[in-house]
Amino acid sequence: MSRNLWRAIKRDYGPYLPLSPYLFIVLFPFYWMIITTFKRDNDLYNLTGVPFWFKEPPTMAHVQLLLRDTLFIVWLKNSLLIGACVVVVTLALGLPAAYALARMRFRGNQAMSTAMFLSYLIPPALLFLPLSQLVRGIGFGDSIWSLVIVYPSFTLPFCTWLLMGFVRTVPHEIEESAQLDGCTRFQTFRMIVLPIIVPGIITASIFAFTLTYQEFIYALTFISASANKTIAYGVTTDLIRGDVFYWGSLMAGALIGSVPVAIVYAFSLDHFIHGLTAGALK
Amino acid sequence: MSSPQGYAAPTRTVAVASSRKSLAAWRHSDGVQAIFWAGPAFLYLAFFIAYPFVMSLYLSVSSARVGSPEWHFVGLTNFQRIFADPVFWQTVRNSFVFTFASELIRLVIGLPLAFALNRSFKGKRLVQGLILIPFVIPIALSSLAWKWMFDSLYSVINWMLMTAHIIDYPWQWLGEPGLAMVSVVILNVWRGFPFSAVILLAGLTAVPTEVIEAAKIDGAGPLRRFVYVVAPIVRPILFVGLLYSIVFSFTDFSAVWLLTQGGPYNTTHVFGTYAYNVGINAGDIGMGASITLFMFPLLAVFVIVMLRLLRRE
Repeated sequence: MSRNLWRAIKRDYGPYLPLSPYLFIVLFPFYWMIITTFKRDNDLYNLTGVPFWFKEPPTMAHVQLLLRDTLFIVWLKNSLLIGACVVVVTLALGLPAAYALARMRFRGNQAMSTAMFLSYLIPPALLFLPLSQLVRGIGFGDSIWSLVIVYPSFTLPFCTWLLMGFVRTVPHEIEESAQLDGCTRFQTFRMIVLPIIVPGIITASIFAFTLTYQEFIYALTFISASANKTIAYGVTTDLIRGDVFYWGSLMAGALIGSVPVAIVYAFSLDHFIHGLTAGALK
Repeated sequence: MSSPQGYAAPTRTVAVASSRKSLAAWRHSDGVQAIFWAGPAFLYLAFFIAYPFVMSLYLSVSSARVGSPEWHFVGLTNFQRIFADPVFWQTVRNSFVFTFASELIRLVIGLPLAFALNRSFKGKRLVQGLILIPFVIPIALSSLAWKWMFDSLYSVINWMLMTAHIIDYPWQWLGEPGLAMVSVVILNVWRGFPFSAVILLAGLTAVPTEVIEAAKIDGAGPLRRFVYVVAPIVRPILFVGLLYSIVFSFTDFSAVWLLTQGGPYNTTHVFGTYAYNVGINAGDIGMGASITLFMFPLLAVFVIVMLRLLRRE
């Protein structure tokens, strides 16, 4: 009897059983974020009883504190603005470079492709000190534009590499026939190649945006004025005053701050997974 | 209707001949064109990656400080100071422990996950999407949740462990030397294992089912199938993914900085956080830069291995 039951369970839920502990580990911190956001302080710091649910009615006080007493909305705007600018800069520089590296035959192509690949592996932790001097030197100290000009240094290599893979999938014959019809390189690129690699452009944009939105060390190093902070930086610093952690509002900030990337991600899951594996494997 | 074709035939040949010529010219001009196409991107990288890198070499032999415009050449003084600094050696050890513990655990828990995802079931897309969330959400934000879960008084993890009678007093996750390293590794693993699993999954899907079936018919059990059939096919992909992952763990800043800032007693400092402490917090950019430079030889080894591997593929 119990054996049959076990078999039935295995038949119906077999694939899900091994996945459930993973889902628990992955999702619990977010659950905890949500619960903390809406718990009253008394409830948060009440050590008696099971902490997983509300013991007192939920409250919006932490969210209100976040929106009223901090520059959260400004940080959110900064992050979105920086993200949008970096996507534009990355595509403007990366698309033509990817096309040239993937399609044109010239001396040094191999070396330049390798250089593009290698520059992705030079980490921000190695460059943040000289870059902090550099952005100050060119007059961008403590401004969001310092981040806009520096962030492509990690989005550009990754996205160019990604786009090169997409350009390579465009059949040579189509390009050549366009050329036979009298198209220049640029016309061929604009009218033939670009429309075909739209999925690649979307993938590259998603990565440029999420990588930018996640970045922390450059923002921490270049920016000090609260009004110039990004979400990732502002939430982690401005809600900790001395030894006091505003846990409710911290979690509210983390939760609301995650929404933009979560939305982008939810609408582009397949692009995202493809880019992740392509970026690592090509 | 035959006459137009008759006329058309010779013109066409001419057109093809001339276009061959122009195709060649098209190709011929590539060298010049490439400058305009790829030039801006490489100019950018030269200015924001190559130049700062050279600059950090220069900073490491200078007395540069935050806010002071005067730099003096000080030779290898910074490096002498680093070698005499016990915290630096602790940082080196921490970096290795942090990196290899994280990678090992990511692999160990990522592999079963990849296997579990490597079959079709209802809601697979949703599950895959949920599993990847830690990798997508900014670590600065998700680390706050972990910091709260590791809180010294109100840790929900302690509550769970104590309720389950696994521990009998509240652990100071971020306050005790050994335990603090465990905590930052937990965060780093949590954040990165979805990536490992996706890479592994990509590798597994590359294994043709016929090959597995053939091995099954030959009487190979699951373990032997994995060791002798799956592993050799997956290995190159796994290797590249692993190297990426190692590079990112080794040069990580955020996970450690956000949870412990290198403490307690410097037991969780890695290269990035210690360099930040020295270079920015203490204002000693010269010494900070020389600390970051120690990441470079190791990165170089990784990169050489990776390039070799890519060339062989």
